[in-house]
Amino acid sequence: MNKLVDLTIDGKKIQARQGDNLLQVALDHGIQIPYLCYHRKLSPTGACRMCVVRLKDQKGLVMSCTVEVQEGMEVTAFDEELEEARKRTLEYLLAEHNDHHDNTYYDEFLYWVQHYNLDRRDKRSYPNIYKQMRYPVDDSSPILSYDGTKCIKCFRCIKACDEVQGKNVLSFSQRGLASYIVAGIDKWRDSECDGCGECVQLCPTGALVDKPHRDEINLDKVEKMVRTTCPYCGVGCQILLYVQDGKIVRSDGVEGVAPNDGRLCVKGRYGYDYVQSEDRLTQPLVKKNGEFVESSWDEALDLIATRFNEIKQKYGSQALGGYGSAKCTNEDNYIFQKFIRVVFGNNNLDYCTRLCHASTVTAMLKSLGSGAGSNSIEDFARADCLLITGNNMIETHPVTATFVKNGQYKGNRIIVCDPRWTKMVKYADIWLQPRVGTDVALLNGMIRQIIKEDMIDQTFIEEKVEGGMESFETLKKLVEPYTPEETERITGVPGEKFIEAARIYARASRAMIATGMGLSQQQVGTNMVFSLINMMLITGQIAKEGAGIDPPRGQNNVQGVTDIGVSPINYPGYIPVADEENRRKLAKLWNVPFESMPAEPGHTTVELMNAAYDGEIKGMFIMGENPMMTDPNLNHTEESLKKLDFLVVQDIFHTETTPFADVILPAASYAEKEGTFVNSDRRVLRVRKAVEKPGGAEEDWKIILRMAEKMGYDIGSYNNAKEIFEEIREATPIMGGVTYQRIEHEGLQWPCPTTDHPGTPTLFLEKFSTSHGQGILNPVDYQPQTEPASEEYPFVLNTGRILYQYHTSTMSRRNKSLNDFANEAYVLMNPADLKKNGLRNGDRVKLSNKRGELETVIRESDGVTEGELFMPFHFSEGMVNKLTRSELDPYSKIPPYKYSACKVEKV
Amino acid sequence: MTQQTRIALRNAGSIDPLSIDDYIAAGGFQAFEKALKQKPGELVSELEASNIRGRGGGGFPTGMKVKFTDKADRPADGMKYVVCNADEGEPGTYKDRVIMEQDPHLMIEGMLLAAYAIQAQKAYVYIRGEYADSIRKVEQALKNCYNKGYLGKNIRSSDFSLDIEIRLGAGSYLCGEELTLLESLEGKRGYPRIKPPFPANVGVFNKPTLINNVETFALMPWIISEGSQAFTAMGTEKSPGTKIFTISGDVEKPGYYEVVMGTTLRELIELAGGMKGGSAFHAAILGGAAGSFVNESVLDTPMGFDTLKEVGATLGSGAVMVMDSQRSLYDMMASILDFFAHESCGKCVPCRVGTTMLVKMWEEVKRKKNGNRTVMLEKMEEEADYMQKTSLCPLGGSPIIPIRSAVQYFKNEF
Repeated sequence: MNKLVDLTIDGKKIQARQGDNLLQVALDHGIQIPYLCYHRKLSPTGACRMCVVRLKDQKGLVMSCTVEVQEGMEVTAFDEELEEARKRTLEYLLAEHNDHHDNTYYDEFLYWVQHYNLDRRDKRSYPNIYKQMRYPVDDSSPILSYDGTKCIKCFRCIKACDEVQGKNVLSFSQRGLASYIVAGIDKWRDSECDGCGECVQLCPTGALVDKPHRDEINLDKVEKMVRTTCPYCGVGCQILLYVQDGKIVRSDGVEGVAPNDGRLCVKGRYGYDYVQSEDRLTQPLVKKNGEFVESSWDEALDLIATRFNEIKQKYGSQALGGYGSAKCTNEDNYIFQKFIRVVFGNNNLDYCTRLCHASTVTAMLKSLGSGAGSNSIEDFARADCLLITGNNMIETHPVTATFVKNGQYKGNRIIVCDPRWTKMVKYADIWLQPRVGTDVALLNGMIRQIIKEDMIDQTFIEEKVEGGMESFETLKKLVEPYTPEETERITGVPGEKFIEAARIYARASRAMIATGMGLSQQQVGTNMVFSLINMMLITGQIAKEGAGIDPPRGQNNVQGVTDIGVSPINYPGYIPVADEENRRKLAKLWNVPFESMPAEPGHTTVELMNAAYDGEIKGMFIMGENPMMTDPNLNHTEESLKKLDFLVVQDIFHTETTPFADVILPAASYAEKEGTFVNSDRRVLRVRKAVEKPGGAEEDWKIILRMAEKMGYDIGSYNNAKEIFEEIREATPIMGGVTYQRIEHEGLQWPCPTTDHPGTPTLFLEKFSTSHGQGILNPVDYQPQTEPASEEYPFVLNTGRILYQYHTSTMSRRNKSLNDFANEAYVLMNPADLKKNGLRNGDRVKLSNKRGELETVIRESDGVTEGELFMPFHFSEGMVNKLTRSELDPYSKIPPYKYSACKVEKV
Repeated sequence: MTQQTRIALRNAGSIDPLSIDDYIAAGGFQAFEKALKQKPGELVSELEASNIRGRGGGGFPTGMKVKFTDKADRPADGMKYVVCNADEGEPGTYKDRVIMEQDPHLMIEGMLLAAYAIQAQKAYVYIRGEYADSIRKVEQALKNCYNKGYLGKNIRSSDFSLDIEIRLGAGSYLCGEELTLLESLEGKRGYPRIKPPFPANVGVFNKPTLINNVETFALMPWIISEGSQAFTAMGTEKSPGTKIFTISGDVEKPGYYEVVMGTTLRELIELAGGMKGGSAFHAAILGGAAGSFVNESVLDTPMGFDTLKEVGATLGSGAVMVMDSQRSLYDMMASILDFFAHESCGKCVPCRVGTTMLVKMWEEVKRKKNGNRTVMLEKMEEEADYMQKTSLCPLGGSPIIPIRSAVQYFKNEF
């Protein structure tokens, strides 16, 4: 840290760090030097000339935004000449500016114009020439409008796009007075702009304004602005919802707080309209004679209680099960798991992580003792080397990716490992492109090289790895056959490439891993992550600041749901169901007899569905989950659901699953309730109510409590979500020190066991969370697929996501803004394959295998390797999961979504 | 009668510019061979002692620049750069073109000397895109140097290596301003950087960079072979050495003339054959568009950076536009103001709006037949003064020069 120095501004004595930005220091001390082009998040530009000051012993005027604080500086910020200069600068701006204002945006320029008494045209000295300049207006983007007549050419949008979001889409066109902003080379719509809106948020005038609801929004009529957490992915961006006439009309990023510091992606900024969609479920629906009929809460819940109790009586409590929801709050899920355990009386509960990061969590739990990311979002910009495996971060975790790009810009090395091209490859030093499913071989090959070139951290192995050098020798022996030639043969990655990658990773002073679905959603997913962790442990790239393994989480609260114990094998706080002492404690807390606390592990997600198919499970309660889109082998899933005697689905919309329900219950969305989420870096974040629930919809936890009551059980009474959270603190030691009050302004990262604990940004600094406190090596061999591509099914189908839609798109597809960007199903195929099969870009094709078939459109792409296909799973008209299989990973029980063999035929 | 003193132009016109053998036969590379036997620090000292001022227009002491770049901390990859500013954008200036077209090896030798002094490994020549002939000739000259072992690795069996590459401009006056040039050279849009930091510390690709004008480099070989004292013996005390002046306008023989600093305007016009058709001298613009109007009272002022500054005029790039009484000073001023409005990059408010504001105000002067034009001129001076105080780069600070000089010397003419 730089040393503290003393300076004066207009005689006021101030202390700051040497080299600090003079303008920022002044602002921080309440000295309101005017500025327009400066912004805290951007590098100084020096374009507007408003922040002009005078320095003692220096001739002329200087811009305070470009001055670094030095010891003994004497600054004059306000005097007659400076004020005159500022006023004239504003007058100059007014001459080229269209100052018509419609109250749909905050206008920093207008603020200064009024401050200097220039708001009336008759007070101005220069003629206005903006009309002659014919600045263009570009309204083509789905989500913003650019009005060149209001642009003051301050560079903020360009820098926001370059420096904050790392996208480099914006630039000036023309020169001098005629300059205006363009996206790409001309029209915004045709550019690479992905709608993150950073430019809009930072624009100081009405040049860039959000398009959605612009015809309605009036900043004077906005009733409230509610700070909450984004409901889409697991980054946990803090957003500010503007509510007008009881409706959400805008979403801004909240500046200056973790994890996103004002940054958002297109979904967080423009994906809120689904909340007020007409499709929202508003009344309980009961199936009568094959049709859904609106009913009262009492009628619906009475029916549910009767039927569930019947099943329990007739078949035993093991015949019931449920899916929790990673979209719901911790409070909702805590009550859910209590319900299953106390009311159903079993541990047959699970949730979507089983389909997502199960392998990652399983492997990490076994090797490190904790399945949550070891670092924080800032570390993505700080790690000298970032290894991104099987994670299309720019599209799936956009804001985390912006930190990666910030780091890359400063010189951090990026290695991407992905069978297909993703945008991150543009920022990478090396792109390893292994064949789908061969990552264990690749990683073993890299480990072998690291050992061969003695790039291991022996001290670390001896002190922090269980079994020390002996375990290491076992690993060394196992990887011996993975020579560069053999590894290349299996994976298709050239030896020099992965050797270079291994060197960069091993030799970095701080290296971090971001691992995603590419490794987890595989039949050998757990093994893949084991190999990753093996490499991490022998190089000592963990248990220190800025190093470790951080799997970006997909859902807004999947981390929370994991922590809260919606799990067949763990109670809240990762304590195994078998742990008797914990069961005793919980029984007391829940006020139920100890004997009734289920101690046997239950079924996992896919196993639950299989058990339904087998007739073992008769009744299910599905909360906020859409298995008819997300489970593998959908035809089989459909059969399973049909076989159930009774199915209750609780959601905010009709989904592909609701048709199979006997009762549908309408729930409240994230914007209609209080609660908490936990994001990817273990941060407990507040969720706040912004608008009223539609019709008769209720908070999930309230519904479940009533359901329990109807079934004859008392699982607690709570007046509000906060009271539930107080109980969560007691049941979940890692969150013991978190309170609503403490997280009012910014979230806290668990472990946070006591109320004076500051939270934990980096895990494992002292020891690992395994029983002996040491990391564990798990040497594993490469195993080929059990269903490889064959002559009959020659293509390998890879599945995944895109930026503009979200998972089963029940939420995202109900936003015009997002649909304007992308709303069609497609499958990507390599050009050589197109040629070989007599196909053309845009052809309609049928994909099929022994499990099912679907029809969709071909898109040519050299981003996928020959023999491989990629299809996003968002679109119900192209349900990829009809083709995926349910041969589960033996440890994590995850289905291998990333690899299915299929054939392609022209339609 | 004044004579030319041709140092930068000593070979121009008398050798085949594309023949490196001709250049060597005329004494070329002797300075560089001499330098290779010396320590780099000695060259730095010699250039400093010569007191040479930058010949591009700014007149900054070159020796100081060399010293700063030499002293700058060497970055982790060890790179330091030399850049030759061959953008020659100042209207009325065409001397660098002459050097590049008639003696390109001389410019290269100067760059070699400078690179050796600061131990740079890579250099660029940034040539304005319109100079097709210069580009072609410099390209050939560079090839010649590589073939003869004067560029590349271990030049003339020494430890010193240098690569030189050409980069082209594309129609922007501002890209001749050193900070903007660096941006353009790096492939970005031509917007000036904020200074400090200066190129000596943060230049091309953020590495220490010595950037000088073509003519400045062209003078270096002579300084090294003949010695700094021989250089300071010529010219004025604060502006030693010679200067190529490019004269245009109402003279008999417009063209380029290299004379010692301190030569007067009268002497220069004489050298250029006197006023055309014997007409009477009325005005001259010294220094280009960012130049000053002067009347006959300046005819006998020695032309040097400081001597001209004392009388409210500028030496600038050495452009001299001579006018007889038939010329419209109004049109000249309009042309200059149009030029600045056209060339303003648009980054900072005062220059972006101000340059157009000045054009409009000057147009109004023409319309106001009975209005007080002098008052308007003084109003324009006020705007230009504000621009000069608050603009980001020297372009915004340029209109004040012609305007103020017009007020000083020709107040009642408009």
